[in-house]
Amino acid sequence: MLRLGEPTAIIRLGAEATIYALNWNGMELIAKRRVPKSYRHPLLDKEIRMQRTVSEARIISEAKKYGVACPVIILVDLEDATIYMQRIRGIEARDIIGNLNQEDLSKLARRVGVLTGMLHNGGIAHGDLTLSNVIVDEQMNPYLVDFGLATFTKDIEEFAVDIHLLDRSLQSTHYNVKDGFMQCFLEGYRTVMGDMLNDVLKKVKDIESRGRYVEREMRKR
Amino acid sequence: MISTLIIIFFERRLREGTKIVLGIESTAHTFGVGIVSSDGRILANENKVYRPSKGGIHPREAAQHHSRVAPEILRTSISKAGVSLSELDGIAFSVGPGLGPCLRTGATIARTLALSLNKPLIAVNHGVAHIEIGRLVTGCRDPVVLYVAGGNTLVAAFNAGRYRIFGETLDIAAGNCLDTFGIKAGIGPMPMPEVVAEKAKSFVQLPYAVKGMDVSFSGLLTAALLKLKQGVALEDVCYGLTETVYSMLTEVTERAVAYTAKNEILVVGGLARSKRLKGMLDTMARERGAKVYTIPDEYAGDNGAMIAWNGILHLMFGMVVDVEDSRIKPRMRIDETEVRWFR
Repeated sequence: MLRLGEPTAIIRLGAEATIYALNWNGMELIAKRRVPKSYRHPLLDKEIRMQRTVSEARIISEAKKYGVACPVIILVDLEDATIYMQRIRGIEARDIIGNLNQEDLSKLARRVGVLTGMLHNGGIAHGDLTLSNVIVDEQMNPYLVDFGLATFTKDIEEFAVDIHLLDRSLQSTHYNVKDGFMQCFLEGYRTVMGDMLNDVLKKVKDIESRGRYVEREMRKR
Repeated sequence: MISTLIIIFFERRLREGTKIVLGIESTAHTFGVGIVSSDGRILANENKVYRPSKGGIHPREAAQHHSRVAPEILRTSISKAGVSLSELDGIAFSVGPGLGPCLRTGATIARTLALSLNKPLIAVNHGVAHIEIGRLVTGCRDPVVLYVAGGNTLVAAFNAGRYRIFGETLDIAAGNCLDTFGIKAGIGPMPMPEVVAEKAKSFVQLPYAVKGMDVSFSGLLTAALLKLKQGVALEDVCYGLTETVYSMLTEVTERAVAYTAKNEILVVGGLARSKRLKGMLDTMARERGAKVYTIPDEYAGDNGAMIAWNGILHLMFGMVVDVEDSRIKPRMRIDETEVRWFR
């Protein structure tokens, strides 16, 4: 039993958190609960879970302030390390972009670029920007979700990691549309970031040459 | 003498077609020589560890130690293995990562042996060697690897031809953090901090630094030393410190397990000897339906056998080097090496 009601389903079982679906006053919500880990000391465990819950909730509401499309937070239950937020109804970008025509694909990519630009411009790096963390609704509007690894930062390298991760996630699943998608993405990104884009892209090249972050693509859901 | 010769002769016959490689380890404080056959038998594993009278490892002094003990260790390992130098099929050595002077000492000995005996020279990635000896002696197949030692801390798993790094330390290694704390606190390096922690009465909270998949220990070390200075009981700081370090390691390992959906966890490196770390990993693994494989103490820390065994794997896939291309790589990364032998 969660504070806002009985969960109707478990949406995802991650390493750190479990995500439940529930209905509350006619609204579809998700509850992201950071589960206690029995391997670590109870004091340490509680501290970590609370701290991360606060940080994620703060980042999401900050992102909202900059106009980034992401879930609305309904309630933060610190005792239980749970964030209740709006459930975004839609399809993960990675399951849809293979079936889009050229025009829709470009439009979507540009919108994702704008969202990412607004996020970065506000001083937030997403930390896990893959196509599974972009949800697309029926009107083809993209939303960013899962800010579990997000950080407040002004470091260009962190922004570059986001773009690199997105690029990698396209490479493994949608190789054929990757170049077109990234081009439109960067167009959208530039509308917000302006000439900063060049600095970010330089860092992306840097990261690629180091050959790291590749491993996150091994993720199987 | 004659009977020994006969035994050697028959043994040789029995393992017709098998290869034998001599491996030299000298990346940090250990100088080791291992002799291993391609059927996975460890014929010799002789190691000597340089122990500084105070403080940490001084690279030059460690290298001098290595060149001093090398002849004796080579001799004992060869006689223990019961092979003659001419029977060897290759000479392997740690090419990196490690301390420059130490690496150079091992590499020079390996080159000399290879040239004078006219045997192939094999440059082995020290980190990969840790993983491969772990797979050999524990029998696990496709694990998420936690490599924790005095000089290295990373989580890796095999994907697309290499061991890919999932997460790693952003500053010092986990072992370095605990060793340095122990030395500065006057109790000595690991396992002392963990031993002293057993007497703790309360839990001291220290900064916990996991960033995504990466970990950071230098701030934690500073904070722990500060607590000591402030008069907090040594046992309690040891307890807080070890618990925090191991929890961080367990968390990033868990993330890698969840991401890759692999169900084996292999712990290698000197810190694999820690009982508490193993306990934490076991608890985590049980909840995830995975299994932890810990390497026996003998092969946990740096040793010659792991270099020899990885040398065998290299040899089978023709991965040998010319002396001109055998320059040491102090900053080598685990994913620089193609893992062609993985099945």
